[in-house]
Amino acid sequence: MPSRGSSSAAAVWAILRKECRSEWRTRYGLNAALLFAITTLTAVSFAVGRMSDRPDLLSALLWIVLLFASLASLSHAFVREVEGHTLTLLRLSASPTSIALGKLLFNLVFLLTIEAVTVPLFLTLMAAPPPRWGAFLALLGLGSVALAAAATLVGAVISQTRGRGALFAGVSLPILLPVLAAAVGGMRSQWVGGPIGAEARLLAAYAVALLAASLVLYDHLWED
Amino acid sequence: MSAVLEAPAAADAATFEAQELAHRYGRRIGLEPVSFRLAAPGVTAVTGPNGSGKSTLLRIASGLLRANRGQSTLTVSGKTVAPAERRRWVGYATPELAFYEELSAAENLTFVAEARGMASPASAAREALARVGLEARGADRVGELSSGMKQRLRLAFALLDRPPVLLLDEPGGHLDDEGRAMLARLIDEVRRTTLVLIATNDEREWRIAEQRIELRGRGLGHPA
Repeated sequence: MPSRGSSSAAAVWAILRKECRSEWRTRYGLNAALLFAITTLTAVSFAVGRMSDRPDLLSALLWIVLLFASLASLSHAFVREVEGHTLTLLRLSASPTSIALGKLLFNLVFLLTIEAVTVPLFLTLMAAPPPRWGAFLALLGLGSVALAAAATLVGAVISQTRGRGALFAGVSLPILLPVLAAAVGGMRSQWVGGPIGAEARLLAAYAVALLAASLVLYDHLWED
Repeated sequence: MSAVLEAPAAADAATFEAQELAHRYGRRIGLEPVSFRLAAPGVTAVTGPNGSGKSTLLRIASGLLRANRGQSTLTVSGKTVAPAERRRWVGYATPELAFYEELSAAENLTFVAEARGMASPASAAREALARVGLEARGADRVGELSSGMKQRLRLAFALLDRPPVLLLDEPGGHLDDEGRAMLARLIDEVRRTTLVLIATNDEREWRIAEQRIELRGRGLGHPA
């Protein structure tokens, strides 16, 4: 049989580039996410003022802002394909696993972009104490991978269901809560000078488990 | 129904065989049992009333839909191609195929070529657009194209990888006289090398074919 192109890496890369180009052209999620993050942080800073002595509140607020700013877009990665009727094009172009990995990488890039704007703004407006940068960035990175993996998996599963909005909330709650709890706990520890090992390991293990579950599930996602 | 339609197989040629192939969408009949065998090269038309299963048959042949009864087998150069891998060997143009409206026609095809791991994605996209007479509109965003141009783009997508199997569902839809002449030329170009299956009820299209499979389902997705 003559060989035909089958590189999964090429497909994942092509999908990531396509997602970035589409997002850049439409600003479907970026503008809304940044608007939410900036508005929330500004409003909270006016209402509450400096919170440099409240690392527990700072940690929770940081992850709540990141979660709510990004979640709508993260969960719509597949819904956009279904509602735009482009899922057939995608399925005829790449394997389900390549599609899902491309979407996951895009969600991660999206989340990191939101964080690049939101985190400096957060540290400034909330007058947060200087973070321990190594621990801070490690937690931010691990939390972002777990969050992106969870949102991509749930988004893929619910994309072809009828009541996807309600279903997303119901399905994602038990998956996202452990991520948020570990991320908030770890962030608080790094601000008070405590160890972050347990939370970091939990986030890493959770991210790996979600990725493994995704790789098993994705090939069966769109079987009619 | 049952039919055996066979032409002499060329080297590296494809065959497609349906054995008691049938499908239901819930309680509705999508395709009544059908058996036939086709071998490349050649053009076959699939005709039948609305809802008799023409599109369902092509969807199964493309690997997008798993039939819930019977068996379909695609072979290329004597080796069986699993349904999940058929996208690499089958060019499929269907009315349900939509493109990313925020990307240009050329960008859409280049993305597909990249995702499939083709060697020169941009030049493959340009060549496919030229074959359907869209080279001058390649830089235009898909959202700006007319219905007829989008149909030409579907045909370009199907031809992109010069596949050994070409599945065309109502290929003349939205095409003007010049477009239909282009379609007839394209089919003439590939009829000596490729297994072509056209689902249509348009006499101008099924007359292009050398043979015809008539589905005699009850039509309109009759309840079981």
